[in-house]
Amino acid sequence: MNRREAILQVALTMGSALSAPTMASILEGYQPHRVGGHKPSPFVLGADEQALLAEIAEVIMPATDTPGAKEAGVAATIQLIMKDCYKPAQQAHFQKGLLAVDTESKKTYSKPFVDLSIEQKTAILTQFEQDAKAEAKQHPKRQEKPQATNTETSLSAFAPAGSEQTQAKEVDAETGVVVKDARKNAPLTPFFTLVKELTILGYFSSEAGCTKALAYVPIPGRYEGVVKLKDGQKAWAT
Amino acid sequence: MNLNLDAKKAMTYDAIVVGSGISGGWAAKELTQKGLKVLMLERGPDLKHVTDYTTAMKDPWEFPHRGKVELWAAEEYWANARSGGKPGEDQRHMFTKDVDVPYIEKRPYDWIRAYHLGGRSLVWGRQSYRLNERDFTANLEDGHGADWPIRYKDLAPWYSYVEKFAGISGNRDGLAVLPDGEFVPPMQMNSIERLAKAGIEKNFKGRHLVIGRPAIISEAQKIHTDLGRASCQFRNLCVRGCPFGAYFSTQSATLPAAVKTGNLTVITDKIAYEVIFDDQKNKAVGVRVIDQNTKQHQEYFAKIIFLNASTMNTAWIMMQSTSKRFPNGLGNDSDQLGRNLMDHHLGAGASGEFEGLQDMYYYGRRGNGIYIPRFANWGDDKRKDFVRGFGYQGRGGRQDWVAGASKDGFGPAFKDNLTKPGRWEFNIGGFGETLPDPNNRMRLSGQKDKWGLPIIEFDAGWGENTVGMRKAMMNDAAEMLEAAGLKNVKTRNDNTKNPGIGIHEMGAARMGRDPKTSVLNAWNQVWGASNVFVTDGAAMPSSSCVNPSLTYMALTARAASHAVSELKRMNL
Repeated sequence: MNRREAILQVALTMGSALSAPTMASILEGYQPHRVGGHKPSPFVLGADEQALLAEIAEVIMPATDTPGAKEAGVAATIQLIMKDCYKPAQQAHFQKGLLAVDTESKKTYSKPFVDLSIEQKTAILTQFEQDAKAEAKQHPKRQEKPQATNTETSLSAFAPAGSEQTQAKEVDAETGVVVKDARKNAPLTPFFTLVKELTILGYFSSEAGCTKALAYVPIPGRYEGVVKLKDGQKAWAT
Repeated sequence: MNLNLDAKKAMTYDAIVVGSGISGGWAAKELTQKGLKVLMLERGPDLKHVTDYTTAMKDPWEFPHRGKVELWAAEEYWANARSGGKPGEDQRHMFTKDVDVPYIEKRPYDWIRAYHLGGRSLVWGRQSYRLNERDFTANLEDGHGADWPIRYKDLAPWYSYVEKFAGISGNRDGLAVLPDGEFVPPMQMNSIERLAKAGIEKNFKGRHLVIGRPAIISEAQKIHTDLGRASCQFRNLCVRGCPFGAYFSTQSATLPAAVKTGNLTVITDKIAYEVIFDDQKNKAVGVRVIDQNTKQHQEYFAKIIFLNASTMNTAWIMMQSTSKRFPNGLGNDSDQLGRNLMDHHLGAGASGEFEGLQDMYYYGRRGNGIYIPRFANWGDDKRKDFVRGFGYQGRGGRQDWVAGASKDGFGPAFKDNLTKPGRWEFNIGGFGETLPDPNNRMRLSGQKDKWGLPIIEFDAGWGENTVGMRKAMMNDAAEMLEAAGLKNVKTRNDNTKNPGIGIHEMGAARMGRDPKTSVLNAWNQVWGASNVFVTDGAAMPSSSCVNPSLTYMALTARAASHAVSELKRMNL
């Protein structure tokens, strides 16, 4: 049952509360209102970098019996998130890490990353994962897990670890203005840590990830607290 | 005919309700149903039920940033950003851009606002608990704050009344600390929550774990379907607005009920900033507003006025309402206006994991958790480090892909692992009572906003009593989780959050028995201006540790009933 059928079925049980035009308007997607005026970030990846990012994401979340990161369009999502949700210093650190992957590939195997065998790609990224851990150890504070949330204050569907929204803003006590440079010198998230987190997020929140790798039920209709897990049952997408 | 008189008549109603959130919606419903012509004023824009819940039916992949907050949004919604993902593209249209309505932090304060029709009734946490008998005597018992002028028995019938209409899902647990109400059927606990309940109740006398009581209709009754509300569909996307009307909001419940009477006028985009007090008549006669778009000033007149602008803005309006009789603000003979700010402190608790129950899962997404009612300083459980107590909200579930970022590895096996239900986890966090302290306050600063109105300055802290309480919140949580058999129990006590983060602002215009020490009487009438009623969080003389909105609903319905009978007796 698709979303339209599902909501129409619920609407039937509600009598006139959801009229046909109403239904149409919420099914046809949204016009974000009250959008603010803001300068877009100049962050952009070149064609080679995009291809490299797509390849890295595919190694992290490969096609198996379910689609991989490439089919799920993860690289484009990562690029957009990097552009809009991260500050210039983190963007630069990310881009530097991306290039370092290629540099390391050429140094070790005399080939760009995209041309390596899967074993070679895995070896390179395993090294980067180790390096990321070492880098993080130098800045333990940055690596703290965000606070576990509770039903009352956590209204968000998900707030992935290390996302910008889990950081408190520092504010000038007199003016209430956010002190923009307060975290200027804050340690940056290591490249591999970030690309892995964003790949996982991008993949499992994609249509392929939700509906093929996981089990997605847009409108469950009921809650059952105790259900026997079926053999091979997939985790719920949301 | 005198044109001025005609013009004034057109602006005259029986009652004015300032604000359209949880308590404003209730005031409008009660007053219109009792036959009064009511004007509801909302400072923000209209937000239409269903059609303006623009993200409600979207799938995760339809949000380009996938829950990540854009930098510009985090800056423009700087206060909201302190409270999680509120500036995200899925929900920021339900909150207010803080840069448009700044406030000043003499001491840091997290003020989360939703300036639009329905206010925060659209985004509230929905947990709905009655205060218990001792909550009403707490101030008298330990001497903090002013005694409540009412007791549990005064409010109990009104709790029942509002619960039936709002639709509160819950189990009748029979606990004096958490009085039962008129419930629609309770939601189910999952396997780990049942295990925790059994373990905690077996090992700790006087401690209980119950299913949460949200204002969500698990099974719609006629009183709900008559207004077009349907049963919960268990999507757990409440914050985007519920197209089924399953959770209580102004839009889903009180507004349609009020509109049905034919007695309601709603005007949006009007910022009420002053109650007009007539020194000759010795009563309030109306309110002054400014249009947020055109900046036109306007006066509206009525016999009675309900201030339901939310705690801070209600006090803000009263502070600007000066007259010969009230040179320091409406009803402020006591100098208590704007003082005694309270909230619930949170961020202390524990989480744990469980290796077993691997063959168990659940179906659906429950916009509700479990609740562990207060046990500290209750019965035989006496504490030396603090007075009053705390409750816990929490939930259990199986780990999912979100945990993947903090696990080692990548590749096919790693991916496959994340597609299966992971380990069970269980997490609880305390909500602690704060004490009324006159030094915790908000004032009108010398600075003005873009409408020329005074900007609020906050000067409030959590208070000494929370220090010992937070340690107990953390340690008691770990002790219970360990006793229940959970492993790898991790504790937390995050002291970085500011007052306001609980989004349970209370105080600022408290009820009391004595006009020398309080702002409102036992019927929520302003001392010295008895045709003005304050029934939002500002009225609270103490904070209890339970979520307060249900109490605002009950206070509002009770006050509205009193207001109408006093009007009939020509006493107002």
